[in-house]
Amino acid sequence: MTAMNENPTSQARFQQSGDTRRSARISAETVSTLAVAILCVALLVGARFISPSLGSWSQVETVLVLGSFLVVLSFGQGLVILTGGLDLSLPAVATLGGILATNWVGASDPGAWYLLPLVLLACGCVGFLSAAGIVWLKVPPFIMTLAMSIIVSSLLLGYTKGTPRGAAPDAAVALMKGHLLGLPAPVVFLVAFVVLGWLFQSRSIFGRYLYAIGTNVEAARIAGAPVTAMRILPYVISAVSAGFAGLMLVGYSSGATLRMGDSYLLPSIAAVVIGGSSILGGRGTFLGTVGGAILLTTLGTIISAIGLEFGLRTIIEGAIVLVALLLLREELFQKLGSLWR
Amino acid sequence: MSDIATTSGGAAPSAAPSAARSGPAPRHRLWRLTQGAGLILGLYVLLYALYAYQQPRALDAYAIAALMNNTAPLALAAAGQTLVVLSRGFDLSIAGVISLCNVVLAVYPLEGPGGALLSMLLCLAIGGAVGAVNGWLVAYLRLQSIAATLATMIICQGIALVILNAPGGYVSEWIADELTGRLWGAVPVSGLAVAAVVGLWLLVRRTDYGVALYAIGADEPAAALSGVNVRRTRFITFVGAGMLYGLAGLMLSAQTATGNPNSGTPLLLLSFAAVALGGTSLSGGRGGLFASVVGAATLTLLQKVLFSSGVSSFYTGLFQGVVLIVAVVFSGLLTRIGERK
Repeated sequence: MTAMNENPTSQARFQQSGDTRRSARISAETVSTLAVAILCVALLVGARFISPSLGSWSQVETVLVLGSFLVVLSFGQGLVILTGGLDLSLPAVATLGGILATNWVGASDPGAWYLLPLVLLACGCVGFLSAAGIVWLKVPPFIMTLAMSIIVSSLLLGYTKGTPRGAAPDAAVALMKGHLLGLPAPVVFLVAFVVLGWLFQSRSIFGRYLYAIGTNVEAARIAGAPVTAMRILPYVISAVSAGFAGLMLVGYSSGATLRMGDSYLLPSIAAVVIGGSSILGGRGTFLGTVGGAILLTTLGTIISAIGLEFGLRTIIEGAIVLVALLLLREELFQKLGSLWR
Repeated sequence: MSDIATTSGGAAPSAAPSAARSGPAPRHRLWRLTQGAGLILGLYVLLYALYAYQQPRALDAYAIAALMNNTAPLALAAAGQTLVVLSRGFDLSIAGVISLCNVVLAVYPLEGPGGALLSMLLCLAIGGAVGAVNGWLVAYLRLQSIAATLATMIICQGIALVILNAPGGYVSEWIADELTGRLWGAVPVSGLAVAAVVGLWLLVRRTDYGVALYAIGADEPAAALSGVNVRRTRFITFVGAGMLYGLAGLMLSAQTATGNPNSGTPLLLLSFAAVALGGTSLSGGRGGLFASVVGAATLTLLQKVLFSSGVSSFYTGLFQGVVLIVAVVFSGLLTRIGERK
């Protein structure tokens, strides 16, 4: 994750032109993205002092594999937050993806090549329903995605009668357990996903529209952005990526459970926020979010390797989220930025 | 705390901010109905009639007390959440505070009425302390409320796990018996506790603090310019909300009579559902505490009605989600009709 550079923030330079504070903002975004990346590396290297088994290349691989779920989930969450929304239905949709994959497809179904896309389509429909409620029925995103989350979980509970059956599809297992170019397949996939995600959010016309809408919907409408379509798109992408994360989870643990997505809701928001995005929308980069997700995963693996009891580990995790938030405060970086000038 | 009191009172505090923002506020009856608890109260009465029709014994003192006992924790939690939402914030620490109070009561049971009083003070102190930390982080250090309270929630969950790492322990008998019992064989104690909180709120709402709370939620810069101490108001709001979560933890412990380090987690999303169902705007400044309490009562009653209708408990969430969306759409519609006239 050292590959983070300053490119995405130069993008922000254009979107925020006219803002007199833009120079401070750019430096804040660059610095916070870099700070998260440096913190990740420092933690991985520093972990060696805690235990010699830590900080090795194999541990980096473990972190990347475990972090890949969170990266995929927080990509969607980040897009939704970018437009000023919030997606609370991610865990439910991820579980939906996982359970449909094990129930419809199973281990070695020859029809997997069209069934797996169908699973993702089903997840996308949930996202579309959320977006429809938000855009046309004017339900606040928080409430709409919360309601969808409760509804989907309840339907899954009824569908599986409380005990999910079936096995993970071979394709999902190959993705999570296979090797490619001498690296674990999920690591290769992660790199590809990050590049594509970054291109989408910071280099494509769609990404530009999303930034514009997150900054000021009315201004974006007047400027001719397809506002309705672009407000729906993030929720659909978010649901599809959540469904994909569900497939990945199923491939990794070779089976689905009804609560497999639950532990990812708050981390997906935390990763986006720690990555320097504003929860109010319009600001933040995918590379920052990736850094946030990897940082959280790194911390999780290091803390669990220390062998503290679960409660203490949880306290430390919370404290670290808090410290990261305090360190990444915008004001702080504005001050630092003005010192350099 | 009748319907009339809340609907007529609902217009008074919100008049200040909306007048400051957009001239004289429209005074249509429908519009005022959504400001108070009229809509949700009607829904509750309707649902209760259905329940009484299915279960003729639903009007017994025993059945009413049982329903109140089930309602009280969520009602108090939603009451606290309402304060924070009115100030245009989100409080996730609700789950942590309730778990923490529950665990403390189960691990250190204090017998007798004196012990119960001490336990209540302990819960209030825990909630108030966590609320003070939240308030400090959000009001003075200007962290985003959803992010800051996420961190404090994780820390509280961790402390709860350290105190009690698996479900167990016994809440003192006096609390478990008396707080779930009935006074003079008729009045449920849990209902009295909720009524006391609502009564207190009706008084507080008339104070300078109450007006300031609505003002900063509706339009923070305007409130600050008209001399409201925004920071102090926000700080007090988090402390008050925390204390209400403490009470919710006490009532939950009385009801379950045992400790569980994750007992608060299910209340997190449901508290937001109750607030939204009560018609409180998630973007701040509009709504009221009583409506959220009725919203919480409706969600609880809905479970009972579904159960007595023979609907599998798997599908409870489906109905809760649909009711939530319909209620929010409907109250939004009423508000819009009211504003147009």
